Amino acid sequence: MPARVAIVGGGLAGFVAYATLTRATPGSVSVTVFGAAGADPAATWRRRAAAIRQRRMRSESDGHCLPASFPGLAVRAAARRRSPWPLVRTACGGYRPTVAEFLEHVDELRRRIGWDDAHVTARVERIRAVDGGFELDGHGVFRHVLVATGHPGLNLPEELAGDPRAVHAYEPHDYAGEVCVVGAGMAAATEWLNALAAGARVVSVRRREPVRRPLNVPRRLFSRRGLAGYQALPPAERAAYLGELLSPSFPPGRAWDAALSSPRFSVAAEVNGAEQIVCATGFKRGFHHDPLLARLVSEHGLATHERWIRLDPDCTVPALTDETRTLALAGTPAQWAYPAADTLVGAKYAARGFLRRIQACPTR
Amino acid sequence: MSYTLRGRIDSRLAAALGPALAAAALALVLHRWWPVEVAALMVGVGVALDLLLYDRALDYQPAWTALPLGALELGAVTALAIALDVRAPLPEAIGFFCGAWLLAQVLGHAVYPLLRLSYGDDGGELGRPGATSAAAVAALFLAAGGVAFATRPPVVTLSAGVHRGPIVIDRQEILQGKPGAVVRGGIVVHADGVVVRDLTVVGGENGIAVFGADRVRLEHVRVLGARLDGIHARLSGVVVRDCTVSTTSRWGQGIDLSYTAGRGMSAVEGCDVSGGREGIVTHGIDMAEISGNHVHGTSLRGIAITEMTMGEVSDNDVSGAHGVGIYCGDHSLCTIRRNVVAGTRGVGIQSFFYAEATLEDNTLVGNSVPTSAFANALLERSR
Repeated sequence: MPARVAIVGGGLAGFVAYATLTRATPGSVSVTVFGAAGADPAATWRRRAAAIRQRRMRSESDGHCLPASFPGLAVRAAARRRSPWPLVRTACGGYRPTVAEFLEHVDELRRRIGWDDAHVTARVERIRAVDGGFELDGHGVFRHVLVATGHPGLNLPEELAGDPRAVHAYEPHDYAGEVCVVGAGMAAATEWLNALAAGARVVSVRRREPVRRPLNVPRRLFSRRGLAGYQALPPAERAAYLGELLSPSFPPGRAWDAALSSPRFSVAAEVNGAEQIVCATGFKRGFHHDPLLARLVSEHGLATHERWIRLDPDCTVPALTDETRTLALAGTPAQWAYPAADTLVGAKYAARGFLRRIQACPTR
Repeated sequence: MSYTLRGRIDSRLAAALGPALAAAALALVLHRWWPVEVAALMVGVGVALDLLLYDRALDYQPAWTALPLGALELGAVTALAIALDVRAPLPEAIGFFCGAWLLAQVLGHAVYPLLRLSYGDDGGELGRPGATSAAAVAALFLAAGGVAFATRPPVVTLSAGVHRGPIVIDRQEILQGKPGAVVRGGIVVHADGVVVRDLTVVGGENGIAVFGADRVRLEHVRVLGARLDGIHARLSGVVVRDCTVSTTSRWGQGIDLSYTAGRGMSAVEGCDVSGGREGIVTHGIDMAEISGNHVHGTSLRGIAITEMTMGEVSDNDVSGAHGVGIYCGDHSLCTIRRNVVAGTRGVGIQSFFYAEATLEDNTLVGNSVPTSAFANALLERSR
């Protein structure tokens, strides 16, 4: 009888995990995906990308949902366009698929791997460790569980809560004649361009000068080369380093520089009387903002450090994982193990760690 | 990709397994060691660069760097092959390198990530299959080395003093002499891969004769008083280096390498040749390289490239020839450059009978006629 495996979270991280598990263990495990927001794994991401009018992905060709890095979206684009240019650009690190291409790829993969058959629309509010696995909120006991619930919510500065001028960047919005953009990361930089393109005057409000780097996390931290050192850091140092890594950034490049040199662009220390305030302030941070994780920690006395649940290098929760059962985290909560866990590559990393545990389980 | 050091070496050695096996098969088919030697050099250079350079300098390696790094490795392998005297044909060896490089790219970018989902996360490490591949490559090269050692040609060393000839060599071997070793009556070579070195040969019909043999090397030999030619080769591939040949025969030549019949290149380098009708002569050989020799006192020609030979004559010093200093004749194609031809009673450099000679930077001094071309022959000066 196939082992019962559950993925809690029906977004892109859960989708990537499902694709990885079904490729690597065809027929030997039964995977159920619990998602609260319907069967479209890209629904939330699609809405947010549309809200900030994102046109291209920040990641390169392996920023896709397929379990293996090859063939990526560049190969797919080259085959479809019958042109070698996507391959040349990816070899030079310059390929950025469009959002439309990415979403089309998600839809294709969703059909191919039978995602909809495995998906159950339900919100899991409690995970309880029991003999032989984990009880999921009345849905039964699963031996191996991956929690991929995504960001715990949009982060709106307290002082702007209730201000009718304020809208979060990831919520649908248009632009007024004068727009104040709060934040200094990728979403903020995108909003500068959007508002300028809409003819608005833009005031950038930020606490610090934005960092310019191609990806959120240095490339060496995407592989064991950098990860081994990171994962060996003591908790306090690791938390401090993570804080440094996760500070807002956006890529270098002429397109972004053009916004900074526009006469309609200015920088201010605080919000003034602008007609509209766009809060490009990201997401709430920390497990305590996620009711499921907060309850998991309090009921099982899990080890934490500041806003992080302490994880093993393979993204598993050490106190609840042994050779017979696995509880792993994916997405932002897994940054303790993998700093780029909130990316598609990070979702794959967590999925592979989870997969290894399942494959090593003698009673799977 | 951000490789770990082990990841680099795992990926490289696993990718080298196919080329190493191909090299072994090629060596068996061709009965030549160069494919294995080139493959071993490729792996050795690659691993050395991984250890000493790439791991330190490349924290992250974008895909495009494969091209310049491949070119760097090709240059290093070529330089080492020259330094270590690996006798590989250049186009084939470069083709082998490029094929192996291409295979490594396909494996690294497509095959390994498909077979091992965590290939990128693991920094190129391949786990047990990587270690197995590395062991297989090492075992293959060790086995090849063992075979090479076990089948290396025997070395026959002649002690100081006079040894009666003619010595006939009909198996692959190295015949060498201790200081003062002299063979009287000549040496005759009939086998492939023979090396004769550090010997003085006196007399004999020909001083050293080579018949129907490939890859023969004559190094540091002194040949005196042969009745016909000092060194005489027919239907053979011969390289003569750093020799001294003195011929007193009225009709003999100093060194005569002729009619290779598809046995590849023959060469004479760094020799001092005196006397005889022609100092160094080639008839009908595929490729001849005559360079850095001192040829003097010949009664007909100093250096002669003839009968449809394709030859390069460079950096030689030819003096006192009675007829022609450097001769390119009978449908041959000759590149003649940086030679000094002096004191010839006839013509310094001559092209004759449908031959085509290209001249470059030669110094012609005191010759009765500096250059001439006739009987539909061409003589071109590129500078």
